[in-house]
Amino acid sequence: MQLRTFGIALTFLLTALSVSGGGARADGVVSTTNTIFEEYGGPLHMSVITPGVDARADMGDHVNIAAGYEADIVSGASVAIVDAPSSAPDAISGATSLRDTRHVAHAHLTLRDETTSLRAGYVYGTEHDYRSQAFDLTARTELYERNTILEVSYARGFDSVCDISHPRDQDVVEHRRLPSSEGCFVDGSDRVARDVSLQSFQGAWSQAWTSLFSTQLVLSTQIIDGFQSNPYRAVWLGRSAAQENHPEVRARYAAALNLRFWIKPLRGALQASVRGYRDTWDIRSVTAELAYDQSIAAGLRLRVRGRWYTQTAAAFFSDDYSRMPRGQYFTGDRELSAMRTLTLGARLAWSVPTNDEGEVLGFLDSMDLVAKGDYLTFTFDGFHYGSAAIPNRHAIVGTFGLEAVF
Amino acid sequence: MLVLRSSSKTRAGLSLLLSLALACGTLTGCVTVRPEDKEFLAEPSMIYGSEGATAGHEDHVLANREGSAGASGAAGGGCGCN
Repeated sequence: MQLRTFGIALTFLLTALSVSGGGARADGVVSTTNTIFEEYGGPLHMSVITPGVDARADMGDHVNIAAGYEADIVSGASVAIVDAPSSAPDAISGATSLRDTRHVAHAHLTLRDETTSLRAGYVYGTEHDYRSQAFDLTARTELYERNTILEVSYARGFDSVCDISHPRDQDVVEHRRLPSSEGCFVDGSDRVARDVSLQSFQGAWSQAWTSLFSTQLVLSTQIIDGFQSNPYRAVWLGRSAAQENHPEVRARYAAALNLRFWIKPLRGALQASVRGYRDTWDIRSVTAELAYDQSIAAGLRLRVRGRWYTQTAAAFFSDDYSRMPRGQYFTGDRELSAMRTLTLGARLAWSVPTNDEGEVLGFLDSMDLVAKGDYLTFTFDGFHYGSAAIPNRHAIVGTFGLEAVF
Repeated sequence: MLVLRSSSKTRAGLSLLLSLALACGTLTGCVTVRPEDKEFLAEPSMIYGSEGATAGHEDHVLANREGSAGASGAAGGGCGCN
């Protein structure tokens, strides 16, 4: 299934490229983006390598097609039973290793005229214990001499999560956790597929106010309905451990304001953004980011930034369910506790200069390279494994990208 | 009573949104940056979404490491160059 999906995406991609190369009125773009995420600290660690390739091509003046493939290669260690009593002073000594690969393929079609576009797409993702597919639709228009851009989008997702087959009349506090992905999506095994339905809406208004200043307001909402727990994770409830149990419905609301200001004497752009978020699990968060993008030589730009994030805990979160239960729901997810993130990073972008014929390497219209690095530090004041603090509170993210235009 | 209160709150919220939309529509219609004045707005660092797939990878990382997500933005920025 994975190979077939990848094959279809690759065929689509190669077709796009061949059309873009042969058609007199077609432009083709091929890009690759590769990210390494490394979270470290103590016995718990997580590595995610994300290679990706995309291609898009103009088919005449009004049609653009795009296709791409991306993978998430995950390896690391996590705590299977959160807060389990342990004779060891460090309750994390029982960490279990995990390894999986997620494959994602997408295809998009855009129809456009001078100021308006309509984009439709399909995304399919698969891994040993999770399958997803989503359709999305985006409409966009430019108004008032293109100083105003309005965009609305809608996405509908249909996901399936592998879970252990629990007896129908069994209480949630007796549910065992899924021990492994073995037997997932295989007929006749003791595994079941649990559905997750996702609906996402977003509206964005971008506005150029002066020749040096623009803003963007983004509003989004998402409704998730279905199994949202981690099937592998159990929580110690006092007498026994049970698979974590999250509410089945979650509505998420977010609003962001982004500002960009060109500083003429420095030939650089100041970028600021702030986002507020709230959901029906009672998580509220604020994100603030400040960045500065400076042109440091012909075709070479350096961007430095700082990002600060803070959130409250979910209403049903407890650091110790045996002493402080929160009703029918329980979780061992640290991302549902009160937390803060500080991110510091830099990004270097280089547009390779063209020769006298306006080409790069003799056959490309342009080529851009991007290298990006971020350091993240997480603070969890209210989450412990037993009495032990979370050890893996630091992460680095490195990204390398290349885009070639034919 | 709760229903009444909630419906009057909804009406007030909708009125506020409608007023804001009208005000924004009127205001933006008055704002004109002429095409020949868009040199700096066309710089890559002034265009929203110009980070492309690298921003998508970052959103993916953060959505998996934080409890909230959304409002990640749209492309464009008023330069008329997309």
